[in-house]
Amino acid sequence: MGTNYTVNELIVSRAAKELKDYELVVIGQGIAMAAGVLARKTHAPNSTILTEAGMFGIDPFKVPLHIADPTCSKGFTYSCDMIDIFTTVVNRGYVDATFLGVGQIDRWGNMNSSYLGDPEDFTIRMTGAGGAPEFVGYANRAILTMSGGTFVDKLDYFTSPGYVNGGNSRYEAGMPAGSGPTVLITTKGVFKFDDDTKEMYLAGLHPGASVEDIRNDVPWDLNVADELESTSLPTEEELNIIRTFAPEVSMGRKLQLEVVMNKVFALLSKNA
Amino acid sequence: MQKFMDPDKRMTARKAIERFVNDGESFVFANCLYSMPLALAHELIRQGKKNLMAFQQGGIEEIDQLLLAGALDRLALAYNFRAGGPRITTPLDRALKEKQIVVEELTNHTLLSMMKAGAMGYPFIPVLSGIRVSDVVKRRGFMGDQRFAEVIDPFTGESVLVIKGYNPDFALMHVQRADKSGNGQLWGAMINSKWACLAAKKVILSCEEIVDTDVIMSSPHLTIVPAHKVCAVVECPWGAHPSEILGHYDYDFPFRALFFGSCANPDGAKAWMEEWIYNIADRREYIEHYISRFGQDTLDAFKAKSFKSVEADYGSTFFTDWDENGYSRNMGMNMEEFVAMLDEKGALIHGN
Repeated sequence: MGTNYTVNELIVSRAAKELKDYELVVIGQGIAMAAGVLARKTHAPNSTILTEAGMFGIDPFKVPLHIADPTCSKGFTYSCDMIDIFTTVVNRGYVDATFLGVGQIDRWGNMNSSYLGDPEDFTIRMTGAGGAPEFVGYANRAILTMSGGTFVDKLDYFTSPGYVNGGNSRYEAGMPAGSGPTVLITTKGVFKFDDDTKEMYLAGLHPGASVEDIRNDVPWDLNVADELESTSLPTEEELNIIRTFAPEVSMGRKLQLEVVMNKVFALLSKNA
Repeated sequence: MQKFMDPDKRMTARKAIERFVNDGESFVFANCLYSMPLALAHELIRQGKKNLMAFQQGGIEEIDQLLLAGALDRLALAYNFRAGGPRITTPLDRALKEKQIVVEELTNHTLLSMMKAGAMGYPFIPVLSGIRVSDVVKRRGFMGDQRFAEVIDPFTGESVLVIKGYNPDFALMHVQRADKSGNGQLWGAMINSKWACLAAKKVILSCEEIVDTDVIMSSPHLTIVPAHKVCAVVECPWGAHPSEILGHYDYDFPFRALFFGSCANPDGAKAWMEEWIYNIADRREYIEHYISRFGQDTLDAFKAKSFKSVEADYGSTFFTDWDENGYSRNMGMNMEEFVAMLDEKGALIHGN
C-alpha cells in the first residue's frame, strides 16, 4: 500500500528523529529547519530553536528563506545578535545540536561548502563558510544531511571540521570534548561515525537502496555496520506537517526555482 | 574620530552617495540578508563608483549586482546565497574566473568579530580557536597575514586564535525608522547590524520613515546606531525591497528569482541591471516601475500585517527635587531658605 513521498521528505522525517525533547538547537534553513520544526511538532515540543542571526526561541510557521528571516515566526523570545549567538550561546556550550546541509564530505566528516574545482584556480564558489565551521566545531552534536552533495577522498577546500584526521585530532585542535557530527543522512542511507577511529560507516539504508549502490558513491573502502537499520517511511501525519510547513523543501531547490520562474513569467505576461 | 553633529542630515540617496563615497574606499553592509540597504547599493552602482572593497557576511543579491556593475575589486565574504546550486554560474563565479575580484574568505563569526574589535577600538579579538583547522584560516587571501593570528593566553599559556579589528570607511544601513539627526532604530534580525555600523567611520542610513525625536526618546532600546555616527539620513520607503523588514513588508521571492534567473547568462544580467538600476532614477521610480510591470496587487501582497510590540514604559515621576509647592523633597526647604542656607554656611560668593 502506498505512501508517496519525495526523497527530501524522507530525509526530513529521518533527520527529525535525531532531535530530542528539551534540547536547544541551532538551525539554518531548508531541510534542516523542516526537520527541526517537524521534531517540535511531534516528539520534541519543548525544544528551543534559534538561528545564528540572533532570533532565539522562534516558532516558525514556514521555512525561513535564510538565517535572518524573521517573517518565518510571529515574534520570538530573545532578540540578540550574531556575536551573542557564537560567544554566549555556542562558545559557552549551550547548543545541544545543529543541523547542517553538506556539499562535499570526507571519511572523517570534514566538509566543504566553499569552492569546487582546482584549489589553485577556483571558479565555482558555493555559498561559503557562513556559520558552519563554528557550529559544527562547537555544537555538542551535528546532524548532517546531504541531498545534492558528494563523498570525496580529499576536499577541494576544507571549510568545516568533522573529526579532522580521525581519533582525537578534532579535540587536540581545540574543539570541545565529545562534540562532533553524529549522523549523516543522504538520499540513499544513514551514516554514523566509529566511536574510536571516528571514521564514517554505513549504518542504515533507505527503502530501495543497496549497499553496492552506496559503495559506488563513496571513493574510499566504506565500512558497513553488521546490522543495518532500515529507514521507516514518513507517516501521513509527518508528510502533512512537512508539506504544510515547507512545500519548497518537499519539492527541492531545483524544482522550486522552476516553479517560481513560471510564476514570474506569468506575472510578466499578465502585465505586458 | 570624526563625529556628525548636524541636527538635520536628511538628503536624497543620490546626494548622500555623491557626498560621502569616494572610489577605492572600503565599506560594510550593516545589514545582511535582512533589511538590505538595496536602494543605497543601487545608488553606488548608478554613480559608477569603482574599486570599492566590501565586507559582507551574508550576501544575497547585492554582491552579484555590484560585481556586474564593476564597482568592487576586493571582497571580504563569509556566505553568498546561491540559487539553483553549483549548476548555475553566478556573477561572482564569473568575476573570480576573470580575475575581476579578489576574495578574502571568512566565517560569519570571524568577519563580524573583525567589526566588533574595530568598533571597540581593540587591535584584535579572540575567536573560537578550533576553526584553526579550516582552510578559512589556513589559506590566505588579499589580506595576507593581516587577519588571523595565534597569541598566547597570558593566564593559561594556551594558544588562542585571534582576528584583527577593522574600521571600514563607511557603512550602508537600512532601518525601520530614524529621526532627522540619524538616530536609527532597527528590530527583527539583529545579526551583524550593531557591530558593523559601529565599526565604520561613518554610516549612510536609509529608513522606511523619518520620525520625531520624541519617538526615539520613548524607545531608546531600539536605537541601533546613534546620530553622531551617521553622516546622511535618507527617507526611503521600500528601500530594502526585495528583502524583508518587519512592520513593513516580506521578502519578494519571485522578484529575486527574476534576478537570479537573469544571471544565468551575462546578457540577461545586463538587461536586468539596465531595467532595474541604470534606467531608474531612484527608489520611488523603481517602485512605480514595479507596479507598472507586475501590478499594484502584486506589490500589496507583500505588505506586513501589524503585530505591535507591547510598549516599554519609560515613565518616572518627572519631578525635579522641587515639589509642586516649591519645597525640596530631599532637603525640606524652599528656594529662599536654600539660598539663605548657602549664605549662612559661607558657600555663597558675593560678586560686585
